[in-house]
Amino acid sequence: MMWPNVWAVVRREYLQRVRSKWFIFGTVAGPLLMALLFVVPIYMASRSEDAERTIAIVDASGVLYERLAPELETGGWNVHSEPWTSDVVAVLTERVEAEDIGGFVVLDERTVETGEAVLYVPTRPSALRTLTLRSAISRAALENALERSGVDADAIMSGGELRVEVLSDASGTEDPRFVVAYFGAFFLYMVILIYAVAVMRATLEEKTSRIVEVIISSMKPWHLMLGKIVGVGAVSLTQVAVWLASGALLATAGIPAILAARPELGGFEQIADVLPGVGLLSLFVAFFVLGFFMYSGLYASVGAMCNSDEEAQQAQVPLVVFIVAPIILVMPVIQDPTSSMSTGLSLFPLFSPILMWARVASGGAPAWQVALSFVLMALAVIAIAWLAGRIYKTGILMTGKRPTLPELWRWVREA
Amino acid sequence: MTTGENGFAVRLEGVTKRFGKRTAVSNLDLEVPKGVICGLLGPNGSGKTTTIRMIMGILRPDEGSVSLFGSDPDVTRRTKVGYLPEERGVYKKMKCLEFLVFLGEIRGVPRAEGKRRALSWLERLGLPEWADKRVEDLSKGMQQKIQFIGTVIHEPELLILDEPFSGLDPINQDVLEEIVRDFRSKGTTVLFSTHLMDHAERLCERVFLISKAHKVLDADLRELKASERKGVVAVEFRGSDRWLAGPEVKRIEQVNGGVHLILNEGADHQAILRRGVEARAEILRFDLVEPRLHDIFVRYAGADSVGDAGMPTTAGGARA
Repeated sequence: MMWPNVWAVVRREYLQRVRSKWFIFGTVAGPLLMALLFVVPIYMASRSEDAERTIAIVDASGVLYERLAPELETGGWNVHSEPWTSDVVAVLTERVEAEDIGGFVVLDERTVETGEAVLYVPTRPSALRTLTLRSAISRAALENALERSGVDADAIMSGGELRVEVLSDASGTEDPRFVVAYFGAFFLYMVILIYAVAVMRATLEEKTSRIVEVIISSMKPWHLMLGKIVGVGAVSLTQVAVWLASGALLATAGIPAILAARPELGGFEQIADVLPGVGLLSLFVAFFVLGFFMYSGLYASVGAMCNSDEEAQQAQVPLVVFIVAPIILVMPVIQDPTSSMSTGLSLFPLFSPILMWARVASGGAPAWQVALSFVLMALAVIAIAWLAGRIYKTGILMTGKRPTLPELWRWVREA
Repeated sequence: MTTGENGFAVRLEGVTKRFGKRTAVSNLDLEVPKGVICGLLGPNGSGKTTTIRMIMGILRPDEGSVSLFGSDPDVTRRTKVGYLPEERGVYKKMKCLEFLVFLGEIRGVPRAEGKRRALSWLERLGLPEWADKRVEDLSKGMQQKIQFIGTVIHEPELLILDEPFSGLDPINQDVLEEIVRDFRSKGTTVLFSTHLMDHAERLCERVFLISKAHKVLDADLRELKASERKGVVAVEFRGSDRWLAGPEVKRIEQVNGGVHLILNEGADHQAILRRGVEARAEILRFDLVEPRLHDIFVRYAGADSVGDAGMPTTAGGARA
């Protein structure tokens, strides 16, 4: 019986927002634009002619080519060796001009000693190409020098190994992922705040335009508030889903495609390593949903008790404190996710979406604490719905000055 | 306590509403019979809108009770009542048709049916080409029509209209009057507030007059006029006016071109006429006045109520 009209509110709220230009721009065009900014230059660069990628290497020293060739091949170059002759520069220059090869490098004794070499090319190459080439040459020279003094260059160059031995098992098994924890927390903060404020604005707009008198005479205030929150929540989920999906697409298809096109960008493979898995993403969405329900309820009641934007700006300050505090605390929590302070703070329902997320993502929260935080958040949602519903019911039809705290309490008691 | 009784669409018993120290509505009893057009009249700030808001559950009375169709108003209101508030609110960004369908939907009208009704109403009010325009693109008067459609889209049994005529041009005022009569003929009860006596005079079967928070008149309009007719004589004459005063006459009011004699109850107006003839006055006119609601309004509401507006009720506009 109550659902058809709640559904009507949800539907209206959702369609009105999803159809708005800003939503479409923010949701679809935003990430697309970002991806394009990221992908296009790389893609364009990778489309260069094969000849350009073919370089000849003239190794006068006779010891560097063997080391350099495989390095450059994995970096996306086609290399071949040319024997050193006195007129090799002139001969190869002709071949470059004939666009037979993209350029050539001359290595000599000086290269062996100092890493200096000369690259002959028809046009100035990109900084990235110069860099990869330079580092490959200096690496080859270094390896050669180390080997001559009897050191296992490969082992050291590959970075050695740091074995991590966790002494207590409280910190779970996942690898610490600072980036995911931090940016995820920040993202949660942003999306929850933006959409909770959207609920407040929508409520305020209905109130100040007086349309609410007509709506409330047709349905329970509580149903209107519920429809509003669910509708805006569905919009936010749509947006988050599109963002996550495009992010996932970029990660699973985009990055490998880029790497295939430009093997010299091998370093970017690490990005894939730190991306969160499906489990973590589901948790992210769950934290978002509960966080949104808690804060949007509170923000709806703020919207209902105010009469103007200015008033609402002031009235939401206490809420902003609650939502900003965890963002300030997120760094210490990530750094020491298992401390009792981190544990305590992250179990406080209004902080949980951000702080518990940060702990989970950085691998410092045992499952039972995560579960407990969800139970506490669910209870908080119920409590807030009860409280906010009562404030909303009285406030939405009230004009005149903003209520004081004792008045608010009276609304809650009497509603 | 008498909510079991039927016959009344709206019933207020001993309703009082205070805002701080000021009493907006005082101990008001109001009974709107089913199927009747009732007018809620009163000067600015007299408590009309406050009364309507209490009927609609937007304000809660401090004392007394409100019932609709003899039952709990909260439940009844949502499906049986159409309410046009005085401060007209719309979703500006919505398209007119969608807005109307939405208003139907929250009161249980299926979307397809809502769309059909909305389109036929838009047609009737001359707005068919605006269906897919945003509400904000319409003029104030057109928005008001949209809002009126929104009020009736669920075919309510009771229409409560707060100052429905203000803001409409004379042509649309007539259209609205006709629509209200149509609803009446289909058995819908209508309660509307106004300070425009012409509409009230043409439409109402029953009038309630509120002045300074109190009900000062509650009557069947036809009976009221009949009783008032006996009481006032319009006279135009030349010569002495000494014959006018007499035991029958309670009060003499100067009006344009002559005087109105307000008679005492049961007085014989013929006696005055005879006195005039004897006094050799040249009598140009001696009429039993069909009392205008306007005059009744002014007499009952009293001139002293003017400027007593402490409530944001009627926004500007012509005063009756």
